[in-house]
Amino acid sequence: MSIWNYVVTAHKPTNVTHSCVGNFTGAQELNLIIAKCTRIEIHLLTPQGLQPMLDVPIYGRISTLELFKPQGEAQDFLFILTERYKFCVLQWDAEAGELVTRAMGDVSDRIGRPTDNGQIGIIDPDCRLIGLHLYDGLFKVIPIDSKGQLKEAFNIRLEELQVLDIKFLYGCSKPTIAVLFQDNRDARHVKTYEVLLKEKDFADGPWVQNNLDNGAGLLIPVPLPLGGVIIIGEQTIVYYNGFVFKAISIQPAITRAYGRVDADGSRYLLSDLTGMLHLLVITHEKDRVTGLKVERLGETSAASTISYLDNAVVYVGSSYGDSQLIKLNLQPDSKGSYVEVLESFVNLGPIVDFCVVDLERQGQGQVVTCSGAFKDGTLRIVRNGIGINEQASAELPGIKGMWSLRASSKDVYDTFLVVTFISETRILAINAEDELEETEIEGFDSDAQTLFCQNVLHDQLIQVTASSLRLVDAISRRQLNEWRAPPGLSINVAAASSSQVLLATGGGHLVYIEIGQRELIEVKHVKLEYEISCLDINPVGEDPDRSYLAVVGMWTDITARIFSLPNLELLTKHSLGGEIIPRSVLFCTFEGIPYLLCALGDGHLFNFILDVNTGQLSDRKKVSLGTQPITLRTFRSKNATHVFAASDRPTVIYSSNRKLLYSNVNLKEVNYMCPFNSASFPDSLAIGKEGELTIGTIDDIQKLHIRTVPLNEHARRIAHQEATRTFAICSAKYIPTVEDMETHFVRLLDDQTFENIASFQLDAYENGCSIISCSFTDDNNVYYCVGTGYAIPEESEPNKGRILVFLVEDGKLQLVAEKETKGAVYNLNAFNGKLLAAINHKIHLYKWTLRDDGTRELQSECGHHGHILALFVQSRGDFIVMGDLMKSISLLIYKPEEGAIEECARDYNANWMSAVEILDDDIYLGAENSFNLFTVRKNSDAATDEERSKLEVVGEYHLGEFVNRFRHGSLVMRLPDSETSQIPTVIFGTVNGVIGVIASLPQEQYMFLHKLQQNLVKVIKGVGGLSHEQWRSFSNERKTVDAKNFLDGDLIESFLDLSRSRMEEISTAMSVPVEELCKRVEELTRLH
Amino acid sequence: MWQMVGRRETGRLPPHKFRALLQKTRLYSIELAGHKEIASAHKSGVNSLQQIDATEARYLLSGAADGSVAVYDIEQATAYDHSTRTSKHEALFMVDKRVLNGHLYSVSCVHWYPIDTGIFVTGSFDNFVNVWDTNTTQVELQFNMSKKVYSLSMSTLATTHMLIATGTDDTRIRLCDIASGAFTHTLSGHRDSVWVVQWSTRSEWVLVSGGCDGAIRFWDIRRAGCYQILDQQCSQIGRRPPVLKKSSRTHGREDNLCTKYLNASSPIRQRGQKRSFGISAVDSRTAHYGSVAGLQMTADGLHMISAGTDSRLRLWDVESGCNTLVNYPSTYIRGNKGIQMAVTPDSSLVFTPSLNAILVYDVWSGHSYSSLRGHYDQVNCCAFHPQGQELYTGSNDRKILVWAPRRPIDIDNFDYEDAEQAIKADEDAWSD
Repeated sequence: MSIWNYVVTAHKPTNVTHSCVGNFTGAQELNLIIAKCTRIEIHLLTPQGLQPMLDVPIYGRISTLELFKPQGEAQDFLFILTERYKFCVLQWDAEAGELVTRAMGDVSDRIGRPTDNGQIGIIDPDCRLIGLHLYDGLFKVIPIDSKGQLKEAFNIRLEELQVLDIKFLYGCSKPTIAVLFQDNRDARHVKTYEVLLKEKDFADGPWVQNNLDNGAGLLIPVPLPLGGVIIIGEQTIVYYNGFVFKAISIQPAITRAYGRVDADGSRYLLSDLTGMLHLLVITHEKDRVTGLKVERLGETSAASTISYLDNAVVYVGSSYGDSQLIKLNLQPDSKGSYVEVLESFVNLGPIVDFCVVDLERQGQGQVVTCSGAFKDGTLRIVRNGIGINEQASAELPGIKGMWSLRASSKDVYDTFLVVTFISETRILAINAEDELEETEIEGFDSDAQTLFCQNVLHDQLIQVTASSLRLVDAISRRQLNEWRAPPGLSINVAAASSSQVLLATGGGHLVYIEIGQRELIEVKHVKLEYEISCLDINPVGEDPDRSYLAVVGMWTDITARIFSLPNLELLTKHSLGGEIIPRSVLFCTFEGIPYLLCALGDGHLFNFILDVNTGQLSDRKKVSLGTQPITLRTFRSKNATHVFAASDRPTVIYSSNRKLLYSNVNLKEVNYMCPFNSASFPDSLAIGKEGELTIGTIDDIQKLHIRTVPLNEHARRIAHQEATRTFAICSAKYIPTVEDMETHFVRLLDDQTFENIASFQLDAYENGCSIISCSFTDDNNVYYCVGTGYAIPEESEPNKGRILVFLVEDGKLQLVAEKETKGAVYNLNAFNGKLLAAINHKIHLYKWTLRDDGTRELQSECGHHGHILALFVQSRGDFIVMGDLMKSISLLIYKPEEGAIEECARDYNANWMSAVEILDDDIYLGAENSFNLFTVRKNSDAATDEERSKLEVVGEYHLGEFVNRFRHGSLVMRLPDSETSQIPTVIFGTVNGVIGVIASLPQEQYMFLHKLQQNLVKVIKGVGGLSHEQWRSFSNERKTVDAKNFLDGDLIESFLDLSRSRMEEISTAMSVPVEELCKRVEELTRLH
Repeated sequence: MWQMVGRRETGRLPPHKFRALLQKTRLYSIELAGHKEIASAHKSGVNSLQQIDATEARYLLSGAADGSVAVYDIEQATAYDHSTRTSKHEALFMVDKRVLNGHLYSVSCVHWYPIDTGIFVTGSFDNFVNVWDTNTTQVELQFNMSKKVYSLSMSTLATTHMLIATGTDDTRIRLCDIASGAFTHTLSGHRDSVWVVQWSTRSEWVLVSGGCDGAIRFWDIRRAGCYQILDQQCSQIGRRPPVLKKSSRTHGREDNLCTKYLNASSPIRQRGQKRSFGISAVDSRTAHYGSVAGLQMTADGLHMISAGTDSRLRLWDVESGCNTLVNYPSTYIRGNKGIQMAVTPDSSLVFTPSLNAILVYDVWSGHSYSSLRGHYDQVNCCAFHPQGQELYTGSNDRKILVWAPRRPIDIDNFDYEDAEQAIKADEDAWSD
């Protein structure tokens, strides 16, 4: 690998951190806005459910997301604050359908201690000011004037040191905040202050409430007419407004999120860490509060944010489990829960550990993650591409085409599968035993190759062969009418809608026929100058039965021509360039946008946006899908239309966020495909491969396919063992009844079914900290080694642990050896047939020895110490790369002759590490506590000892994600012919559920892409005007420096989403043709 | 520990908080470091230490009573003792009176040039402030202060000036400009020697000084005169003007002498009001009943801790100038020169030299955590290394000691010998 790295997100963050509801996109439209750490999603609430409108990246980690409506405005504005002290105010431009920046700025202070308890950003309910608590002892005010403009910010001294929460109170003549804080004696109080905008100071507020619950952590301001605040503690809930004080005690719970139900603020939803949802009701007589009431509603994912939408539908955003859309029912179900889950949104976060495996042995990596926390713990199997799950197959060599037919147009399901061969057509049907059986349709010509067939209007079928077009009655299956090709000419290609047929015969004749009841009417016939290679009349307009446009692909001049129907007038002629003829053309509509797809004989595909009225083509884009001719076919899955491109690398084309996406299918080569939705194989596809016909169902259409294995316990570490085809995980089962009591297990899972085969319970307080599968010198067995630590509550650092060696025999975990250690075993590594363990601040090497009695044991060989906490260890050959808790990366070497481990070099920066990986012999990758990535290089050729003992920092980058693990591997199929397969990659998993890829590029490519990135930054402006350069600059407590030797793949790949004109802008700036740019960027998208 | 790592992995504990918590717990276990030893090059008491060079936080500067100044590399050891597992850090170089223009008498204060380690500044009882070039170890510039120099300070924030503030036996504070080699300012107001000067950590223009007259004065070097004198009697911390009594508000504020300078551009907005008090009333305010021996601002510049020879530590709210009345028990501060205290960057702990020990207090509650004992004579100075979380202390016993968070002693089977040796070596060290 090299020092030039390319970082790209394969799976976007899914951890929902914030959400809010308001009229953002229109005065009458209700929107749900969700923040997923570095992205925001805007959804529209429709009677059918949530409809996604926009999903955009933010150049920052969002710490505050608030909607506000200044006076005189019809729509809400969105206020976003990032962790690196940038803020912006966004407005929705309904006409352009995009976000407009109203204001942006930087609210950082040069001096100041960032708050320990996180940033607080709040907006006055009357929109007079925005209040921020970013640094201890200071409250920053951004005044908003009467026109909704933001004024210059200023600080007010806030004397409370440990601020836990600040909220604006409702209904105060001057903006008033309530501050929940903890004093020196750990007692918690609430104090109120009025903000004096003119004096730039506080005045004492209307009331103070001292000595609250020790666990008080959340303030809920209550709107008028009631006013005041609710203070949520761990054991009590208190309401206070200066006059009325009401309190109730609750079951001990740590409440993390709340959502207001009614506009008058009399009901709130509260969610605690265990995911229990409660309803808090303020009982009141008119405006006087009489009491509080808490009711338990039911269980959801542990919420980080709750947004009440409408009609008892609530969005529960979660950091630890899947986010959910729930409905609150009036009556409890059989389990006593009022909660009904309407929809779940997959969340991979937090990815605590993962491994890369090739379970299907296809040469394509899959990632198995330990996701979720506590009761929401799961394993997720993440695979690139779309899977076809085979249901049935039959040997059928020489397939030349396939179509499915319904027995009658009233039928829901397909009955017949028409399979054609070089000189015959066979019709298959599903019989009573659910088997495919050959049958006949009398009216069809079964002794010729079928070019096309379809159900058409008036319960009729058509069949096109080289010589004729037949119209057949679907019920009687008799031929009703026939149109014969002119003598001497044979039909080459044909397409039809429900009421029309378009044929092309040799010599460039194009014939348009309309289908009537029992008749075929030849409406128009034109002769073109060249031969026709392909055509399509799939209706894309409003009428599903009738098309007003036809597309024809031509030989010789290599054009795609659009004709109007029925008079076959040429509307557009588009030259495709090159010498490869178009082999398949298709009209289709994705997300309401009509497209023309045009596939060439060399595996390239053009896509155009089609103007249905004029037939004009725009936004030409070219992608390469394979190397063989492509056949395009539409199919429907989950109520959306997709296109299947059959070729040597079958691909599904679909649209998401108004962008065409291409997803691999886990099949080797597909010649023909047709949808086959039969009663026994619903929603299936019939796939013609070389010599085989397969019927299978298709996964959900998305780029990454995720399968969930619920564990109901928190998996912390995972390892895969190829030899026994098993996974082993270290997991913790949380028992909610006992305070913080966990039981820890080592569990063995089958790698196909993910069934728990065997478990090994660890001692009380014993935690599984690390697990690997390894083998030892002089021993043929493959073992699972588990490192543990005893986390006794009173001890700050475990001083006892074990290394357990398990052998998998007959599906059981056999404990073969165990070794006690003086600390927690944070990391284990297989090391040249020995075992390398990181135990507290030491590194130990153990060898596997045979005792006299024939049993085996681990024997300590040597060690290395002097670290603070050796958390992350990787090894390569005799080199050991260690990531310390707080002392960055050190490089150690094992000297076998001396039997000692010595330090050769280290990085003197004080980085707090979160993961390390070895990229190659000289370059090591690290992720640190402040969401940065960096690479260091060993300086073995340096002249002086001093330089040799230093790891030189060669790359720095702000990822904005907390990386928990790096692993070598790839998510995509490595095809030997492609250039990208030569690029080594590392996969990482983060707290927010991001799966990313770091690829090491050759220098030439890096330079090229670097130039492209610089140009893209000028064209693609960050949402809210946030700067890309600042966002990607390496930044921690000590320093901020520009990113170097890392490229932002997400930005570079967004090149493909640009409009043609902007692409050209970049192309001119770079003096590289657009096609070339597209090609090179597309190559990169194949890395993930 | 493992739980904390686990909570960070799942995102329950935000990484910055993880870091803060861990640093705090480690700090509470600070003790004499067994693994690190500084071989003091000085032949007499160590008066001043500084290692916070902004670029690397790696080099420790020490000045001693014999007029010598030494620099140590605290990251890379010069020698490593395998039996005791101690790394030994010897001075990279030492300069004393033998160097041309070197200090003849006791060096009272040392300071790195805030931008890099190419220059350092020392002040001595021989009346000189010397500016040294680190690479050549020669005096590049000398300022004759004509009185004993007690203290000097350079602003770590400054982008527009390179001024050395000096506190001397004279009542006046003088600012020396490295760029021109001349005195640019003379600040008079103190009635006795000035033992400590320190630049504000919040504004590059603000200087704080503490004198033997017991006064702590704030100066804005862009204006004439001092703009604030701390008063130990003024203790109405947290007093905000009441909501309804608007009329009494302004009155209350003046009493508190609340001067705002959160924005560096307007530090003396209310100076006009204060003038109306009459010089004498303001001038007689004291922060301590004895001399002010030490001043240390917190890193965010919102609070300041002062030490006086009345054996008191006081925590001040800088903005309002209020005494927060936090009681730090049982300190003992006497002497005839200033002391150097240290505050951790997160403002949680303050380290104060007190006789032979260093006392560790919680800044906010005054709770005494521990007293670090190891020196055989009076401790003069301490310096805190934020990355390594190590405390360096200098004492009249000529030693520089390193205090670090406790490391677990490992007694793994193959380590027994080592450990025993270590214990033996330890005994040896204590036997003399």
